[in-house]
Amino acid sequence: MRDADLKELTGLCAKCGTCRTVCTLYPERKAEIAVARGKIALIEAAMRGEDGDAEAVQEALTDCLLCGRCERACPNQVVVEEIVMKGRADLAEEVGIPAWKRVLFGKVMPSPAATGIARKAAAAGQRLLPGKIPTASGLHYRFPDGLGGKGRTVPKLPAVGFLDSLGKAEAAAGEVMLFVGCVFDHVFPEVGRAAYETVKASGKSVAVFRDAACCGLPAMVSGDRRSAMECAEANVRRLRAAEPGAIVFPCGSCLLMFKRNVFSLLPKGSPGYDDAVYVAERAVDYASFLLSSGVLDRIPDPPPDQKVGEIGYHDPCHLSGTLGKGPEAREVLSRAVGPAFAEMAGADLCCGYGGTFNVRDYPTSARIGGNKVTVAARGGTKVISTGCSGCVLQMRDMAARTDPALRVVHIAELVHDALFRK
Amino acid sequence: MHAEALSALGNLFGDRLRTSLETRICYSFDATRKTFLPDAVVYPANAEEVRQTVLLANLHRFPVVPRGAGTGFSGGSLPVRGGVVLSTERMDRIVSIDTENLYAVVEPGVVTETIKEEARKRGLFYPPDPASLKFSTIGGNIAECAGGMSAVKYGVTRDYVLGLEAVLGTGELLRTGVATAKGVVGYDLTRMLVGSEGTLGIVTRATLRLLPHPEAAVTLLALFPTNRDAAAAVNAVVASRVTPSAMEIMDRTAIDCVQAVAKVPLPEGTGSALLFEADGTTDSAAREADRIEDACRAHGALEVRRASDAKGRDELWKLRRSISPTLLQIGAVKLNEDIVVPRSRLADMFDFLSDLSGRSDVRIVNFGHAGDGNIHVNIMISGADKDETRRAEEAVAAVFRKTVEMGGTISGEHGVGISKAPFLEMEVGPLGVAVMKRLKECFDPNGILNPGKIFLDEAAVRA
Repeated sequence: MRDADLKELTGLCAKCGTCRTVCTLYPERKAEIAVARGKIALIEAAMRGEDGDAEAVQEALTDCLLCGRCERACPNQVVVEEIVMKGRADLAEEVGIPAWKRVLFGKVMPSPAATGIARKAAAAGQRLLPGKIPTASGLHYRFPDGLGGKGRTVPKLPAVGFLDSLGKAEAAAGEVMLFVGCVFDHVFPEVGRAAYETVKASGKSVAVFRDAACCGLPAMVSGDRRSAMECAEANVRRLRAAEPGAIVFPCGSCLLMFKRNVFSLLPKGSPGYDDAVYVAERAVDYASFLLSSGVLDRIPDPPPDQKVGEIGYHDPCHLSGTLGKGPEAREVLSRAVGPAFAEMAGADLCCGYGGTFNVRDYPTSARIGGNKVTVAARGGTKVISTGCSGCVLQMRDMAARTDPALRVVHIAELVHDALFRK
Repeated sequence: MHAEALSALGNLFGDRLRTSLETRICYSFDATRKTFLPDAVVYPANAEEVRQTVLLANLHRFPVVPRGAGTGFSGGSLPVRGGVVLSTERMDRIVSIDTENLYAVVEPGVVTETIKEEARKRGLFYPPDPASLKFSTIGGNIAECAGGMSAVKYGVTRDYVLGLEAVLGTGELLRTGVATAKGVVGYDLTRMLVGSEGTLGIVTRATLRLLPHPEAAVTLLALFPTNRDAAAAVNAVVASRVTPSAMEIMDRTAIDCVQAVAKVPLPEGTGSALLFEADGTTDSAAREADRIEDACRAHGALEVRRASDAKGRDELWKLRRSISPTLLQIGAVKLNEDIVVPRSRLADMFDFLSDLSGRSDVRIVNFGHAGDGNIHVNIMISGADKDETRRAEEAVAAVFRKTVEMGGTISGEHGVGISKAPFLEMEVGPLGVAVMKRLKECFDPNGILNPGKIFLDEAAVRA
């Protein structure tokens, strides 16, 4: 490890142990190596040259959901997420990163065309998947055991993504830019569509960002700094060229990338910095945009037969936690669905997705996520709404596994239903 | 450690024995930020596995160092002579809570706050509240006899331990104490184990006394021009026949430190602050708060703020709670001492500390539990300046000498560990040390359990 900044960042950790109380992973691992304090001790030892096995340190740093709970609880404001990401990046240079991630981050994600092709290939492949079993909801396939984790369900990939469904000239230019993100374009295009229609209903002209490369977060958290930088640099350059008044993000993790993480990839003095600042100043979460746009005033009164308190809100770690945008989504829900919305049991529990964490340790990810949706369902929630693509992916899988009657939606879908209710 | 010993531990623990450097690094530290690498880490699931570990240790002669959450300030859980760190993290069940006889039976790895919460759900109260209660474990609290802010009214950990089950250094499983309100049969082995820092036995189960939970609490923040005024107010509160459930003091050094970051609006000329809690029934808490307020006003308080709702109380606590987090921003290293002086000598000690800070040219930040005379003396240094470090260490020694001279003790709640071992004899005398060593011999004849603690150990002092 050689990152000079790391030393200063880790030096603030007093080893007090506060991180143990809030860590999403600690109850699963019950070992110091799982929590921030342990990981920081490892990085410190590595910087002193005491680490025996760089791969083992890499493994330890990878075993983290980056939910940021430790960082927010830390009395010394140690920036754990940044430390872990920097540590992963340093180690990726020493040890390398797994081949599947290299191809995904380096070749597929930075290219809008390639992500579309990848989805089409995957959708086609899915039709051929042997032994696929449609689950009760009909929206998910159950993965054959031994392939990607026992009991995993995957969403049925659509043949046409959201961006492809738009006409050539449709939403090409406008004062508001919508950044739908990979998942809401390729996997759940209905969310991309709902976000688009509801933002458009504000009366402002809306452009949908077509040149979108992946936001770069998956590569960044995996230590693939170069791919992440390529994504970030291309995105901020193209976004700025469009000169939007506001850039709306239906996905909290994409938003975090452009609000905060991008500055670690494109720091002050780097060529992309000015573009990054331009974008960060205009980037806004979906809920905050709706609240400021006045569109919610046009929602008709909720139907009288609606069940009180059956819709809950799940706090995405990045959106509610790191960016502090929890109240805004709740306000949107109250206005869109009225008394059907109620505070959900365990609303701020992490869903356990953690991006690539879900791929590398599916059983653990599924235990955390399964607990999440079970706590919510026991509390009486029938529909879990949220504001991040990773959370939607994970909780739909969890609901399909544990309680197929439980619906998981993006708040945009609920706003869309309310706004265009006949 | 011998390969033979490791392989025996492997047979016992399977994948709950860890010997990778990475895991050992993660168990090499505590909140003192000193590090000593263990040779291995084990995660026992029950008392029998703890017993087997200690039996193996006697056979192969390796140290066993019990560790809860590793949050101590005196080095109690540091493996200063290597060996096996025995982590109680997986022995974390609350076995039972008896709501009729008011006690809880818990395993050592339960986080203290969890016990408080579970008791509270049943209308019951486990009072000890060390500042680390959200993350420290009950096993560690018992080993160090943790205190806290409510000690002034409710006492410390030892006052709530009715009985223990512990594995001695011989590998024998000892049960001590009672599950009843009283018990005087034979020597008080329970108290012998509480505060023994894992050197006499490893607690595998504890029976804790619970109280009915008080129904209400009122918080007061009183601001004074000087520590002398504040100290006089503390004595006046006690004289008015009120026992607050917290009586915290911050001197100017602590207030300045917090104000640099938190910016709590304070009246001009504030040089000392007292924070009180009065608990009980809604009526009695309010009445006690009245008396506290009167006593403060009669002794020169510039202002007294008071709140009985959760939000308001939280706001008043902000000044006190912000101290520790902001301390590190002043110096990279803090020498964190927790002396206790007779309450009547509080103001004298504050004067001494202020004088010492000037004389030694090191920044000293003071706050603490005024009701107990317990002052947290934080000597802030960069850690990079050798001369500064030497001056700070001399200052610590001076503080300890003064404390003992005033009839106080050098540690109220952190324990001796390695950091106060050089000063043990200064307080308890040569015979005290000798008797303690005889007791150690009796519980742990082969010196297996947590070696290098309490008594001066060259290997530990070198670090």
